[in-house]
Amino acid sequence: MGLRALLLEHADARDLTQLAEYEAVGGYASLRKALGMERQAVLDELLAANVRGRGGAGFPMGRKASFLPKPDETTKPIYLVVNADESEPGTFKDRELMLRVPHTFVEGIVIAGYTIGASQAFVYVRGEYLTEYEVLVAALEEAREAGYVGPDVLGSGWGLTIVVHRGAGAYICGEETGLLESLEGSRGQPRTKPPFPAVSGLYASPTLINNVETLATVPKIVEMGGEAYARIGVENSAGTRVFSLSGNVVRGGNYELELGTTLRELIYDIGGGIPDGRELKAIIPGGSSVPILTAAEVDTPLDFDAMAEAGTMLGSGAVIVIDDRCCTVQLGLRVAQFYMHESCGKCTPCREGTRWMVQLLRKIEDGEATQGELDVLLDVCDRILGNCLCPLGDAAAMPIASYVAKFRDEHQRHIDEGGCPFGGESSLDGVVAPVDQHHAHMRGQIEVPTHA
Amino acid sequence: MSAPELVTVTVDDQELQVPKGQGMVETALAAGIEIPVFCYEPRLGPPVGACRMCLCEVEGLPKLQAACTLTAQDGLVLRTARTSEKAAEGQDAILEFILLNHPLDCPDCDKGGECPLQDLTFRFGPGSTRMQFPKRTFDKPIPISPLIALDRERCILCYRCTRFSETVAEDGQLVAVNRGAQSVIATFQDEPYRAHFSGNVLELCPVGALTSTTYRFRARPWEIQNVPTVCGLCPVGCNVWATTREGKVARILSRNHPDVHEGWLCDKGRFAHEHVRAPDRIRTPLLRVRRRGFEEVSEDDALDAAAEGLRAAEGSVVVAFSGAETVEQAAALARVARKALGSHSALLPDDWDPGLDAFRAPLSAIRDAEVCLVVGDDPVVERAPIVDLWLRSARRAGSEVVTLNPGGSVPVAPGTAAQVCASLREGGKRVPKELRATSERLREAKRVALVWSQDDETGGRHVGALANELHEGGGADVAVYVLPRAPNGRGVAAAWHAAGEGDAKPAEEGEIGALVVSGDEAASDPRVRELAGRARFVLTTAMFQSEVTAWSHVVLPGTSYLERDGTFVNLEGRPQRVRRAVAPPGPDELEWLSRLGERLGLDIAPWAAPGTAEQAELPPADEFAWSQPDPQVSAGKSAGPGLELVRFRPLFSGAAVERVPQLAFQRPAPEVELAWDDAQTRGIAAGETVAVSSNGTSRELRARLNRRLRTGVVRIADEHAEGFEDRVQVAKADA
Repeated sequence: MGLRALLLEHADARDLTQLAEYEAVGGYASLRKALGMERQAVLDELLAANVRGRGGAGFPMGRKASFLPKPDETTKPIYLVVNADESEPGTFKDRELMLRVPHTFVEGIVIAGYTIGASQAFVYVRGEYLTEYEVLVAALEEAREAGYVGPDVLGSGWGLTIVVHRGAGAYICGEETGLLESLEGSRGQPRTKPPFPAVSGLYASPTLINNVETLATVPKIVEMGGEAYARIGVENSAGTRVFSLSGNVVRGGNYELELGTTLRELIYDIGGGIPDGRELKAIIPGGSSVPILTAAEVDTPLDFDAMAEAGTMLGSGAVIVIDDRCCTVQLGLRVAQFYMHESCGKCTPCREGTRWMVQLLRKIEDGEATQGELDVLLDVCDRILGNCLCPLGDAAAMPIASYVAKFRDEHQRHIDEGGCPFGGESSLDGVVAPVDQHHAHMRGQIEVPTHA
Repeated sequence: MSAPELVTVTVDDQELQVPKGQGMVETALAAGIEIPVFCYEPRLGPPVGACRMCLCEVEGLPKLQAACTLTAQDGLVLRTARTSEKAAEGQDAILEFILLNHPLDCPDCDKGGECPLQDLTFRFGPGSTRMQFPKRTFDKPIPISPLIALDRERCILCYRCTRFSETVAEDGQLVAVNRGAQSVIATFQDEPYRAHFSGNVLELCPVGALTSTTYRFRARPWEIQNVPTVCGLCPVGCNVWATTREGKVARILSRNHPDVHEGWLCDKGRFAHEHVRAPDRIRTPLLRVRRRGFEEVSEDDALDAAAEGLRAAEGSVVVAFSGAETVEQAAALARVARKALGSHSALLPDDWDPGLDAFRAPLSAIRDAEVCLVVGDDPVVERAPIVDLWLRSARRAGSEVVTLNPGGSVPVAPGTAAQVCASLREGGKRVPKELRATSERLREAKRVALVWSQDDETGGRHVGALANELHEGGGADVAVYVLPRAPNGRGVAAAWHAAGEGDAKPAEEGEIGALVVSGDEAASDPRVRELAGRARFVLTTAMFQSEVTAWSHVVLPGTSYLERDGTFVNLEGRPQRVRRAVAPPGPDELEWLSRLGERLGLDIAPWAAPGTAEQAELPPADEFAWSQPDPQVSAGKSAGPGLELVRFRPLFSGAAVERVPQLAFQRPAPEVELAWDDAQTRGIAAGETVAVSSNGTSRELRARLNRRLRTGVVRIADEHAEGFEDRVQVAKADA
């Protein structure tokens, strides 16, 4: 357990954005290997690897790919869509991969495309990721020239075109069907499922949608073989993941860990612990949409099942460390504001519920809430949960409900004392971006860097 | 077609055998179980599951499911709020969320009393609210067009209106803007919602967010009466409710006939009713008095003068029908002419070949066709608007829609519809190159719909002959839709022919003894105007003054279709009952004819007598020979300098539309539609003002560029093409 570089192997020693450097460490050898195999054989390796989706939901990648019809079973084209719309607060692993190992990512796309028999792949990149986009496009260009991507990949007779599309700044476009709508040129709003994308996705055709990190794992799986890969990590959580460590921690950043490493190891041994002699108060283990863990749960291993047992999720692998300055009501308010702002407005509970949550949390924070309103808040969470068209509503309701559940006393003090026990101090420093900054950004008061 | 596979589903413990794939909302409803919905509306395409009102429990699934998105699959076990506590709690939650920011201003909302949100809240909703915060507000009302007002705070964002705009009318003008709780409905770029079918969103809206400016604050649902009748403004014959209050028509709502119009109405049918109360309506009989113009006279004096004038014509009488008469009215007038006056000369807006009956089909059959072929220069949407929606629906369902006109998918030369039909009928190598693909596709297809969209002196023979060939030669199922010019053109023609033998065209020149002008549409027909110029006596029945009433000797006040009882025959050949929604200011046409008949020794019932409508039945078809239609019609006018002018009669035109100020924005803009190449060679850009001239008449019009329009052709709406000949010069206007 602990640090283990599979995706980011050699990335510290070499500039792997350069094709030559990547090839020097065995880059694209997995692609050659895969092209020499039957499609089903590659799929079998993915199934054997038992690699679970790195985007957030953790669905086994091989199984997802196996839901697609085989190329000879359908008259429609088969598409591969890559979800690079990384926007879960606290998450910044996909950008690291795109910036540092773009060729691993591209190789993964090509192998996955070959596996499902796609001839077109679309990469939907978060609009704010300009540098990442440029690095990716440059790497793609190199790969194209070298024949790894294009109408005839390495003379195999099979071709793959990769289109890179930039989003326009909407969290909801990271939801797979919202992404598809956006990619098709429509308003980015999720579709009702079924039909699932494997049956009717992009342009009503069978579509496999995978996250950047998931695809970047593929070359390693092909290289090692699925069974060998499955032995890394723990049962049901095979392999490594890049965790984005942030918040009140000494050394924040991306760390690739073997799954099953404990939070304590990541926060204290690798991240250097809590700065300024503060105490650990809570941990958000998988991005802002997952239920919170208290300091007492710091020994929970970072694997899918252990997190589920603890009542939370591994999510997008964003570990946000929170120290004792944090007011969980303020945290809840800030998180709820994010989801209210990002709710697409299509389905009722999310659209109306997130706004109500913000109103209630603000009232609690301001010390003006009644006892009953705390119950109403919990009830609102409960009434959003499971009733929405897509997971965004759940993503808003789950964390808020967990903050109240795990820090009930703190919420109670807001009501009893008629105000925030933490006073006006900005206690969310380093944990989440302040809402003012967010709004200033919206108003254009913060300059967004642009490239020529 | 084979019978659909039956599957067993269970809804609230009731086992049901239903066709596989049937929607679960319908399935439950058939078993007497209501699943409440807001966003669900099958006519708008696939369900979206947005409002979540229909949440139900499905055995085996952990989360509640939107029932509207579920279809019947074998073994599905569904529990609605009636038997599932979880579903009841979910439904309760959704209603609480929906009402959270809804203003509950029901007492002064027009929808109050006939509001789905109000009804469902009453049945399923909570008695009070836990919402303690100020509700969301917006500027209101927002006029999204002169016809439609939007109160955004009432909107529950079911997206029915935007889905209608996007997927039914396909005008793409209504959109949702912003995100989350700030999402609002808007028009694209805040332009007015100017489209032929915009008014349908009023009825789709399940709350009072979209209201019509013509009905807003005019009535409460408990003080109105809805009269079931049929729209009399175009040959589709949409079924409607005429909402009346205090003896006045206050609005028109659709009454869904799934075979005719699927519940959609065009804006003319929905909003033109205000013309009934127009201040300039003729309310009293008028008699021409030498030098002094007209004098208002008593009904009997007017009728005496009319009878005298008609008698004095000694059989030299021409009857000009408008095609807006009921069958009963047309039959009575035909009897007056043929029996009492001995004249068999009539001007009919449309004629009908009885052979077409072999290819009669409901309009809904268009959607089932593999290939839809539209021939004729008139835009379908201007002539019979709902047919345009059926064609769009067919295309969405996978049918190939081929339009053969100067601006169509195959841009043929104007005025060549008959030749096109003849070529396609012959098939083989002699088909002109541009039609070859169409010809081949037609012959492969097993189900074909043919639409003829322009005036046709042969009564639809050309398209009929093509249908016959495809059916006899290729074994295809063929449906033919000839779009008449007039709303009841088909019924009026049949009634005229049924009333007696003999059919004489009005003489080309020379004096006419008497001219009978029946209705406003006839009075605005240039051919009638010409006849009036050489008639010794003109008797006109009309609602409004026109050039022809000015030529008349006796003018009797006419009525609107909303004031009459009788029968209309729509373009499908479907006789439909028109009911009197409101009383006319005086006698209606049938009563005038009855009293005129009295004076001429003819017994005519003053009401729509039972049995009269049967006269609209067409004679049997088997004697007709399709082999001899003459395709040499109206070809060869294309020679000469300049561009060939194609005119069209816009939907939003005519006496009724002109009297509704709110419809003014819908009338055709002063535009000339130019082909791309023609604009290029003249250096004309889109939106520029151009001078269009012809034979001394010149007019400045805005250029509208159409890449599909055939080179050498311009299109101008009738009202902007007055005085132009068949060829026009187009040049950039001087700056």
